[in-house]
Amino acid sequence: MKPAIGAALMLGAALVQVTWAPRIEILGAFPNLVLIAVVALTWTRGVRTGLAWACVGGLLLDLTAAGPVGPHALGLLTGAYLTGFWTRNLDRQSSIQVALAAAVSTVAYSLVLVGSDDTLGLPVPPLSVVAELTLAACAYNAILMPAALALLRKARLTAAEAV
Amino acid sequence: MLLVAMVSQQSWAAGMRGAAKSALAPFESGLTAAAAQLDRVTSGLGDMSTLRAQNQQLLADDAALRRQVVELNAAAQENATLRQALDFERSFGHRMVAAQVVGLGPDGFSRTLEIDRGTSDGVQAGMIVTTGAGLLGRVSEAGPHAAIVQTLADPQSRVNVYLSRSGLQGTVVGGPTALQLQVEHSIGVVASNGEWALTSGVGGGYPRGLVVGEIASVTHHDAATFDDAALAWVNDPTNISLVLVITDFTPS
Repeated sequence: MKPAIGAALMLGAALVQVTWAPRIEILGAFPNLVLIAVVALTWTRGVRTGLAWACVGGLLLDLTAAGPVGPHALGLLTGAYLTGFWTRNLDRQSSIQVALAAAVSTVAYSLVLVGSDDTLGLPVPPLSVVAELTLAACAYNAILMPAALALLRKARLTAAEAV
Repeated sequence: MLLVAMVSQQSWAAGMRGAAKSALAPFESGLTAAAAQLDRVTSGLGDMSTLRAQNQQLLADDAALRRQVVELNAAAQENATLRQALDFERSFGHRMVAAQVVGLGPDGFSRTLEIDRGTSDGVQAGMIVTTGAGLLGRVSEAGPHAAIVQTLADPQSRVNVYLSRSGLQGTVVGGPTALQLQVEHSIGVVASNGEWALTSGVGGGYPRGLVVGEIASVTHHDAATFDDAALAWVNDPTNISLVLVITDFTPS
């Protein structure tokens, strides 16, 4: 993937994440489009590409969030690493597999986010709230993930045909 | 990355961090405006699809009229919001800075908003943020041209309040789906549905008298020292476009 296209994808996902995604909240949770993009890139392009764009997307999210710069990037890196690990140990890819990978990455991302805040001495929400939000976000991201992957593959196909 | 987080958390790095965060604010502002336009367009398209079966000429006329109505309604709504904010500023008696909401927090754990005013407009971390309807939250970080507001919906948010009818004191706690109110027990007095919760000023964190919300339901606990209540907040952070930052109140 060309760096400019990847950067545009991440910037777009991050901006939509902080302007539109919170408006489609269900049970206190809303989808994380940057995480979905990172999982989709890792799934289709491999773990190295996924990790690189996780870092970029995470830093963009950090710039729009309260607190220090780094926790979102760290969370997304963990998610990308786990997705890469998942794809390496998979014989046959399916929609369920990628949805599960998104769910696991969401859990890892959320735990790293809360854990890093705790490590840095910042206030963290109660454990029950963390569990509730994480589970809802897991379901949300897992449902959206197959569609996002299909969209990315279609975009790649269209780009390849154009070339 | 954790090291970066540790370094960027230091007080001497606050300026750089604020400047970096301000850099994305214009993009967010543009996209927020585009999302609002998209909402208007999609609502217009939805109406048009039901009319397509009818006469083409009538459809075109109708669409044009509908667009005008939507635009006028949006303008009237914005006008009402501004009027409400102006009335509030006059009656409240504090100095305020009006700001546009340009973005929302990216994760569910910290319910924040990003506004298009920063230190160059007199906005500082710790300042109280309201809307014409009532209390919204507090500025948690301020960059030169943007600031981040921690809203009351943030799970870490706490506000001391009193109830309008019973006079009972309590604490409002943020939550992912609704604000929770813990009301202290008092002999012979109980909190009831429909009572308004206003900031009490206890603790010095917020000025007294700002409306927070209305009690939707109360759960009484005979054995505990407080009752639980669900509070219908006067603000919905996902639908707010204009906020007011109180610049002359210093939280203690």
